[in-house]
Amino acid sequence: MEAARAQNHQKRVAPKEQPPQQEKRAKKRKPWAPGLLLLTSILLFLFGFFVVPMLYILYLSFISTDNLSGEGASYSLSNYITLFTDSYYLNSLWVTVKISLLSSLVALVLGYPIALTMAKASAKIRALITLLIASPLLVSIVVRNFGWYLLLLPNGTVNTLLMDLGLISKPMNLLFSEVGVIIGLSNAYLPFMVLAIVTSLYNIDPSLEKASAILGASPLRNFLSITLPLSLPGIVSGCVLVFSLSMSAYVTPALMGGANVPVMPVVVYDQINNLLQWTFGSALSYVLLGTTLLSVFLFTRGFEKSKFKEVFR
Amino acid sequence: MTTAISDVEIKGAIKKFGSNIVLNSIDLEVKQGELLTLLGPSGCGKSTTLNLIAGFLEADQGDVFIKGKKVTKVPPYKRDLGMVFQTYSLFPHMTVYDNLNFGLKLRKIAKSEQKKKIDRVLELVKLSGLEQRYPRELSGGQRQRVAIARALVVEPELLLLDEPLSNLDAKLRHELRLEIKRLQKEIGVTTIFVTHDQEEALSLSDRVVVMNAGKIEQISTPTSIYKHPKTEFVFQFIGKSNSFEGMVTSTDQERIMVQAGQEVTSVSWDNVIGENRTFQNGDEVKLYIRPENIHISESQEAVDGYELHPAKITQLNYLGTSWEIDVAFMGKSLQILTNEYRSSWKEGSEVFVGWKPQELKIIRKE
Repeated sequence: MEAARAQNHQKRVAPKEQPPQQEKRAKKRKPWAPGLLLLTSILLFLFGFFVVPMLYILYLSFISTDNLSGEGASYSLSNYITLFTDSYYLNSLWVTVKISLLSSLVALVLGYPIALTMAKASAKIRALITLLIASPLLVSIVVRNFGWYLLLLPNGTVNTLLMDLGLISKPMNLLFSEVGVIIGLSNAYLPFMVLAIVTSLYNIDPSLEKASAILGASPLRNFLSITLPLSLPGIVSGCVLVFSLSMSAYVTPALMGGANVPVMPVVVYDQINNLLQWTFGSALSYVLLGTTLLSVFLFTRGFEKSKFKEVFR
Repeated sequence: MTTAISDVEIKGAIKKFGSNIVLNSIDLEVKQGELLTLLGPSGCGKSTTLNLIAGFLEADQGDVFIKGKKVTKVPPYKRDLGMVFQTYSLFPHMTVYDNLNFGLKLRKIAKSEQKKKIDRVLELVKLSGLEQRYPRELSGGQRQRVAIARALVVEPELLLLDEPLSNLDAKLRHELRLEIKRLQKEIGVTTIFVTHDQEEALSLSDRVVVMNAGKIEQISTPTSIYKHPKTEFVFQFIGKSNSFEGMVTSTDQERIMVQAGQEVTSVSWDNVIGENRTFQNGDEVKLYIRPENIHISESQEAVDGYELHPAKITQLNYLGTSWEIDVAFMGKSLQILTNEYRSSWKEGSEVFVGWKPQELKIIRKE
């Protein structure tokens, strides 16, 4: 589901222009018919295993029950009212958004130079970097998180090293904190950021850099005025990807943050699996989904309305 | 050109890409205010030469001077040039106005001056009123005009044009070619124009540099390039030509007598192409004649004192202002470009062809 959602977001960011339908043919032959036929199986699959469960969860979120057996169920907004009046859940939502934003930012700052290097490199080097960037995806996220344990625990490599160097006097709380979750998430989703940015960097006509250089732009000015704005579509879709993946991430926050960092997916899991509050959990998950969609919408809309709107056409 | 100050000078430039020698010791001077064309087939080194001047490439050996200053190691952004690219290269995220203002801002021109300069240059390229358009909203011809305006607005030391017309259709290309010529004369900026289109080069330039395989074949005015080619390559590259093989039978002070097939013809020493200008009896030579210099007629009556010989039409192509006629002549195919067309002619018609001996060019066969 995470992946499906992420793809949706990406479409929103970089709307591919539909090829103009040839009107004359459309009238006679219905050119969409074969395409629809091919789509049928996947549409049925999506409907049965994605749309229906989602609608069912939405339905559940409007049910209020007094007890676990579901007796005395009635339609009401009480789940949502509880959620928006209890500071615990509001705080959890805020922490989730904050961590997702910061993870996107860290991934952007780390990913952009890599993408830039890739875009400028020869085909060989580019293939090598792509391989390096994508290789962590081959390792299970659980294994990777336990790898971070070795590095980030109070007696782990990082703290030991910093203490031995005399830079800190006592171990930092890197694990089981927001910092740990941000480290884990930005690391895990860095490949998505790099690949999104590199795609938009490839699309920049190399002669634009020449044109700006000959007009007197130094390499730095060139980057700020030409390369950076023209790679905005990649930055936006990379950020949207990392943000929405982070918003719905469960494993990394659970392992790297634990009880100290109660992000929404962890809270939802708790409600449904441990407390058996299906209806409240459903409401929580819809609020999470709504927040993600709204943030992404505002973010991309902001860019598309900005002075760089021409870049997104 | 009375003034002989050179705005650009390239001395002994050698450039290799791997083991491939792209420029093989180029020497070039561009005079102040002239429009110089670098002409040649793709891979001849013309774009590399332009890139050396622009600073996008650095020669392995040799130096580049602009206005007497050595700029061999100076990066492009410090050279104060204007350049127009084949792909327009307008900044897609900026309006026409911002595209033009880009160079002005970098030169820290005052705001009030910026607008004046932009208005003036837009008027020059006939695009006033399109300031707020984005490049996407312009036609190909308009984009290239903006690109030219963007290069000119900064009042550069030199204007470099890298095949600026090759992405446009024939009519626009012609229109813009005339416009570039007009602008260049009006502003007087020293201009280097790279093209593979000989018509473009001949019609635009004060001087043409014909390049081939990393070397300069000839630097001369368009007319002298066409009429007095220095090398066989130049002759063949500029315009079309028919060739015959022959053998020198005798030479004297004025002429070289050549036997070609059954015919013996004489060629003036002025018409010798190439470095090797000595001929001896029995030397194998090639004779060249331009299609437009062949006379074609229905009767065998001699014209201007030269003989006509029978030939047979194999193909007729109408070109609008003239006819391109292929004939079979002495077992060879000849191409003729003429206005003297008779409507009775068709494929297979018997005709007579001939030419003035002074139109024949001669070169020693290597």
